[in-house]
Amino acid sequence: MALLLLAPYLVSSRIIAILNMMMISAVIAVGLQICTGYAGQINLGQAAFMGVGAYTASILASKTGLTFLLTIPLAGLSAALFGFLFGLTAARIKGFYLALTTIAAQFLFHFAVLNLPSTWLGGSNGITVPPAELFGQRFVSESSQFYLNFAVTAIMVAGAFGIVRSRFGRAFVAVRDDDVAAGIMGINVAATKANAFLIGAFYAGVGGALWAYLIRFVGVDQFTLFHSIFFVAMIIVGGMGSIVGALIGVFIIRIIQEIIATVGPNIADSVSFLGGDIVFAGMNVVLGGVIALFMILEPKGLMHRWNILKSSYRIWPFPY
Amino acid sequence: MVYFINDIITGALIGLLYSLVAMGFVVIYRASKVFNFAQGELVIIGGFIVWFTTMQAGLSLWLSIPLSLVLAGLVGYAIERIFLTKLIGESVFSMVMVTVGLLILLRGLVLLVFGPAVRPFPIIFPLKPLFLGDMLIPMNLLIGGIITIVAAVGLSWFFNRTRSGLRMTAVAEDHVVASSMGISVKGSIAVAWVLGAILSTIGAMIFLSGKSLTFLASDIGFAALPVALFAGLESIGGLILAGIIIGIAQSLTTNYLDPLIGGSLGSVVPYIIMLAILLIRPTGLFGWRTIERV
Repeated sequence: MALLLLAPYLVSSRIIAILNMMMISAVIAVGLQICTGYAGQINLGQAAFMGVGAYTASILASKTGLTFLLTIPLAGLSAALFGFLFGLTAARIKGFYLALTTIAAQFLFHFAVLNLPSTWLGGSNGITVPPAELFGQRFVSESSQFYLNFAVTAIMVAGAFGIVRSRFGRAFVAVRDDDVAAGIMGINVAATKANAFLIGAFYAGVGGALWAYLIRFVGVDQFTLFHSIFFVAMIIVGGMGSIVGALIGVFIIRIIQEIIATVGPNIADSVSFLGGDIVFAGMNVVLGGVIALFMILEPKGLMHRWNILKSSYRIWPFPY
Repeated sequence: MVYFINDIITGALIGLLYSLVAMGFVVIYRASKVFNFAQGELVIIGGFIVWFTTMQAGLSLWLSIPLSLVLAGLVGYAIERIFLTKLIGESVFSMVMVTVGLLILLRGLVLLVFGPAVRPFPIIFPLKPLFLGDMLIPMNLLIGGIITIVAAVGLSWFFNRTRSGLRMTAVAEDHVVASSMGISVKGSIAVAWVLGAILSTIGAMIFLSGKSLTFLASDIGFAALPVALFAGLESIGGLILAGIIIGIAQSLTTNYLDPLIGGSLGSVVPYIIMLAILLIRPTGLFGWRTIERV
């Protein structure tokens, strides 16, 4: 951990940029992990929730000039409200029907941004975001943003460990394992599911706000269904139902994405008919393949494999 | 008034096209309990198969259409064999997640193989619209509507009246119970995916006939989603009614409400209906009510 804090002095700015992306993704993926991995609610709208947060932060920052100390939590809250609205449908429906409402969230978000008057949300032009500022210090360089992201990510991940151990977290697990049985034991199932969406969306909103401050520009193309599925890929690879698993998944998927983004343009030169789309296409093929492969071969994710290794090390030389 | 009626008829016909694509969802769900998120991708693959056999291989339509349907069926079978057979016995959650993976995997593959270029799609149905007095009805949608109704009647007879159809229905009810009753879950899922791929290809032919083909056409898969939910995921006959209602609602919004508010509300009306349906009557109009036991 301490080494990570010194990172800006040790490694090149390219790696710092990648680390920034990883930390933001980690916040969002941890939120998705709580919603999908712990509470068992399939969520294909995480990018839309992230988008709500990013837009909230950028509008507050550019129009009212609020400090990021306020805009980041407010972004989280507005995303949480948006997510809660969709989680409320859990009162009536369950299973993958719920996943469909999150897809609807994705489409409604796009519709709202593109069709509301462009003075409100910037329409298809997007919004430019002023840099985060604290005591006259502007977070412009990669390394200064690194500390901002690191601080927020550390708080959020620590919070996640707390949440999943609290009564809410245990209720999530109970609802995931069997919601009828959980209901009989006295857990308010609908409220628990709505809470899961609320927390998941809050994380997405905070991540979205960090994203807005990092890229300093938000546009509706940054928050599509494909991005939502990339987040799902992260928690599947890492392992459902484990915060550390989500972090591992973020690390692996982000590295894969980074490799494709670096290698892609080189390949594009040799097969010219694809042009710039090769990165997007390659990303989809690889990540789609990764999701399918993990579901077939290792549905519990890498974290599960690690736990097996750990326990077999502990009890060695006995088989069990 | 004439325009109003014309809008209603065109809307209903577009709705029937949605029903046909939605039928792909429902058939796969009805025979395997898997909700296939990659339905739009199957449509686009069907479209590219038709494009390849006619425009690229230069076959005549009478030869290429049956050939395309067979090839599409093979693709459906291959997808089922590679990805879904191995998951029988796993939770439905894993299967649904695999179709989410398939959604982006197939999208990427189509892009890698065919590229982002815009291609002309063969004219399968006559381009000349049908004139009824002052009304103008697109021919491809009209023929497509008839095909949809025939397919719906045929499939709903198959699933509700024939022995093999009822077997597949049992699989949709519960994989473990079905296989302990001696029903082949594997076979049922295979048939479902072959049928789903073929229906998607027919949908692609009607949707794209005489238009241009890009990978973006797969969005129709998501446009058909509300229709499938409105009807209830288990009902094939109900798709017709749901499709017509959603098609008319969309057409009227696009033609009468959008000019007033100056937006494209028409494109999200189906999703708003979908959310309302999920809240009011989650099983849709004709879906099964399930009883849960612990």
